[in-house]
Amino acid sequence: MSLPTHHPTSETFRANALAALADDTLRGALQRATGTLSERRKAAIAELPEWDALRARARAVKAEVLSRLDHYLEEFVARAQEAGATVHWARDGARACAIVAEIAAGLGRPTIVKSKSMTTEEIHLNEHLERGGLEPVETDLGEWIIQLAGEMPSHITAPAIHKTRGQIARLFVEKIGSEPTDDVQELTLAARKALRRHFAAADLGISGVNFAVAETGSILILENEGNIRLTTSLPRVHVAVMGIEKVIPRFSDLELFLRLLPRSGTGQHLSGYQSILTGPPPAGGEGPAEMHIVLLDNGRSAMLREEVTRQSLACIRCGACLNFCPVYQQIGGHAYGSVYPGPIGAVITPQLNGLEKTAQLPFASSLCGACRDVCPVEIDIPRLLLHLRALVSEGRDLPGFDGTVPRKRGEALAFRLWAWAMTSPRRYRAAAALARLGTKLGLSRLAPPVAAWRAARELRPFASRSFRDQWRELER
Amino acid sequence: MSERDAVLAAVRRNLAGVEPPEPGVAPEVRIPGTATPTERLARFRAQLASVGGRVEVARDARVAAALLRDIVAEKGARTVAVSDAALARELAAGLDGVDGVAVACDAERAFLLEADLGLSCAQWGIAETGTLVLESERERNRLVSLVPPVHVAVLQAGAILATLGDALAAVRRPEHGAPSRAVTFITGPSRTGDIELTLVVGVHGPKELVVIVIDPEESER
Amino acid sequence: MRVSLFVTCLVDQLWPSVGTATVAVLRQAGCEVTFDRRQTCCGQPAFNTGYRAEARSVARHFVATMEQGDAQAIVIPSGSCAAMVQHIPELFDATDPWRARAQALAGRAHELSAFLVRELGIVDLGARFDGRVTWHDACHGLRDLCIKDEPRRLIDRVAGAERVEVESSESCCGFGGTFSVKYPEISVAMLDRKLEAIEARQVDAVVSGDVSCLMQIGGRLQRKRSRVRTLHIAELLASRG
Repeated sequence: MSLPTHHPTSETFRANALAALADDTLRGALQRATGTLSERRKAAIAELPEWDALRARARAVKAEVLSRLDHYLEEFVARAQEAGATVHWARDGARACAIVAEIAAGLGRPTIVKSKSMTTEEIHLNEHLERGGLEPVETDLGEWIIQLAGEMPSHITAPAIHKTRGQIARLFVEKIGSEPTDDVQELTLAARKALRRHFAAADLGISGVNFAVAETGSILILENEGNIRLTTSLPRVHVAVMGIEKVIPRFSDLELFLRLLPRSGTGQHLSGYQSILTGPPPAGGEGPAEMHIVLLDNGRSAMLREEVTRQSLACIRCGACLNFCPVYQQIGGHAYGSVYPGPIGAVITPQLNGLEKTAQLPFASSLCGACRDVCPVEIDIPRLLLHLRALVSEGRDLPGFDGTVPRKRGEALAFRLWAWAMTSPRRYRAAAALARLGTKLGLSRLAPPVAAWRAARELRPFASRSFRDQWRELER
Repeated sequence: MSERDAVLAAVRRNLAGVEPPEPGVAPEVRIPGTATPTERLARFRAQLASVGGRVEVARDARVAAALLRDIVAEKGARTVAVSDAALARELAAGLDGVDGVAVACDAERAFLLEADLGLSCAQWGIAETGTLVLESERERNRLVSLVPPVHVAVLQAGAILATLGDALAAVRRPEHGAPSRAVTFITGPSRTGDIELTLVVGVHGPKELVVIVIDPEESER
Repeated sequence: MRVSLFVTCLVDQLWPSVGTATVAVLRQAGCEVTFDRRQTCCGQPAFNTGYRAEARSVARHFVATMEQGDAQAIVIPSGSCAAMVQHIPELFDATDPWRARAQALAGRAHELSAFLVRELGIVDLGARFDGRVTWHDACHGLRDLCIKDEPRRLIDRVAGAERVEVESSESCCGFGGTFSVKYPEISVAMLDRKLEAIEARQVDAVVSGDVSCLMQIGGRLQRKRSRVRTLHIAELLASRG
């Protein structure tokens, strides 16, 4: 398996976005895909008149668990251990990778199959294992495609959404020697055959977790393809990696989230398969003899401190915000330079990595609020974006990070002057007169924002008489 | 400091002074078409059909066994893997003597990986979504329902529950309140949209799902 | 009813005809209109770009100015400014007296179309406009203030106007304040997608409640030499054919 080559980073967001805008194939694929997923979601929720009540309830359940996360984590761990699972804790990605590598090392040189897990991509688990000479094989079709291509996922639920069938066909010919074909059925069949060999030989299966139930110590993982079931039932050892925010209080709460997630993300009433696993099977039972659960912090605990950031831990990774975001629809996921793209990515990427290298992301939004409208757990993403923008403008990093957050001194000065002008009617009028004069003298084109506007749009000129100048006549 | 202590300390430190919110109540959700057994069966069939699953109804095990023979012939299945459930074995007995069909109960992995068809029961059905519920502690059904390209599942009509919540309650084992080690919800054959969002049925899991519902009221409906 | 007009800085300086039209519409609706010339801005540009201290100082001036006088309501011909006014209280700590003052003001501040329909119960302003028009749901008005039906009902009563619904009516025009100049290429890409749907419906004018959106939409239409005009809802309602 090839290690990823060049990945766009958050630092080069502007350049990434421009490259994406110039890529017509990508934009076509994005718009078709996000359009389809949005339509399907609309149809699926139309059948559930209680939709908004369910969202409010989900927000409340998440708020409940996050406000007492230590308690619920301890309960989850106790129940999971009683059921025979081995639980590991990892304060950061490096530690989590080391734990998984240790488990693998205990198996010699195991054949590894992996199912889709954003958390494992967040901590670069594959790269870590590959550096140790192992070859984890992604088994989710979209993830396997991008693994072959050496790319990052561009969408939370449809990682290869940016690729056309033609591109995938050429990739398969090159990497697995399959027959060239444009038929999606045949491409899928080729993938099934190729990956079956890996499943049959696998010693170790690595998965993520969608929900971890504190009450019973169970984990739930959902999918459509069946690769998660194979990954978690054929190998001798199963390792499940989960962020600590995946915990929910009660087994019965699963009904609520199972009603929300598939509908929000893909418009399905329910995903094809849910595996609810509570410890490894008893001796002689079907499935891996060992189950390991790795609990990952990696910056999540810091997000608990303030209510405005705590809500972002409620995310259930449905991808709806991406599908409805007019910015994401234009630039796709790679532009964000993060495992987590789109609106939710713009707010959690800085929180997991600090603002030094991600300072552009909170500004990559028009604050339209479409994401907030569709979020099944009612995360107020625009409010979070504003919170992060305030930190950037002050040159402050998030708690727990002390990076150098680039402060835009020119912009800060401009807003200080602006506020000074806006807090007095006389200064306001003088500033307006000055601006009007500057426009008349043709100086305005020197101002970068004006030039940026004018590149593709006409700019409305100052009116010769402002409204307040006309008020005297209007008053009569 | 252990990793566990470090993480829990960080969580506690950041939650200092945070009040848990007022507990709310779960909203009432009405799922239409689930009030009576007849309605539940109808809804189960419609939901499963909408995702490409196939439902056959049989009055009893004998009729079901005949259905199974037909399905095996239709699919051209030569090797059939059967779970350890008594009902599944009863149906599979109907394949004894059928030419060219090898049946294995308690199949080894090697057989499973090559089998054309897997036969199991489903412990419950969910009318709300057309879902089968398999419990690992009541039947050895994890691999037989997953590995072969065709999965045939036998389900009692009376075991079709109304909602997801009902199913979640039903799988809590009475002895200890915990669910089986592996509870699997199956809603249709395996599928993907990962290539251009084009739906393809049959990826890693079974390409076909056939559910034989045993309903003694069948002839009267 | 006496209302105090908060005309907004963009209307004041760039689009005063929207201001005069708003006054005409309010008078047509039977209101007495006052205008406090000390007003400046609601603080939104600073708030949205992350400059909270600056937003706060401008907000104080807004509150101090607009709470004066004996008008029963403050009317604002802008969904985004009206939405900002609802957010102003949050800029102040719970114990800060400015917060309560801002809250009191927010309680009687209304966007224009919401004021006409919800507060006054008026939908017919005796307007006349010949042509096909489509309504653009500006984001803050739509999502923060739930303004959706009111402008449509008002437009439906404009004699001669044929209101056309466009699928992309709720999608963001790409303005987003400083976003429009920080990421102009993305802003214009979002805009072009929206305009494609509008131009396919052969309308004569795009109507909105926000001059910021109209500047964005109109600016691009003009650059593309389109015959489609932009109109603020106040201008449409003040139009007599």
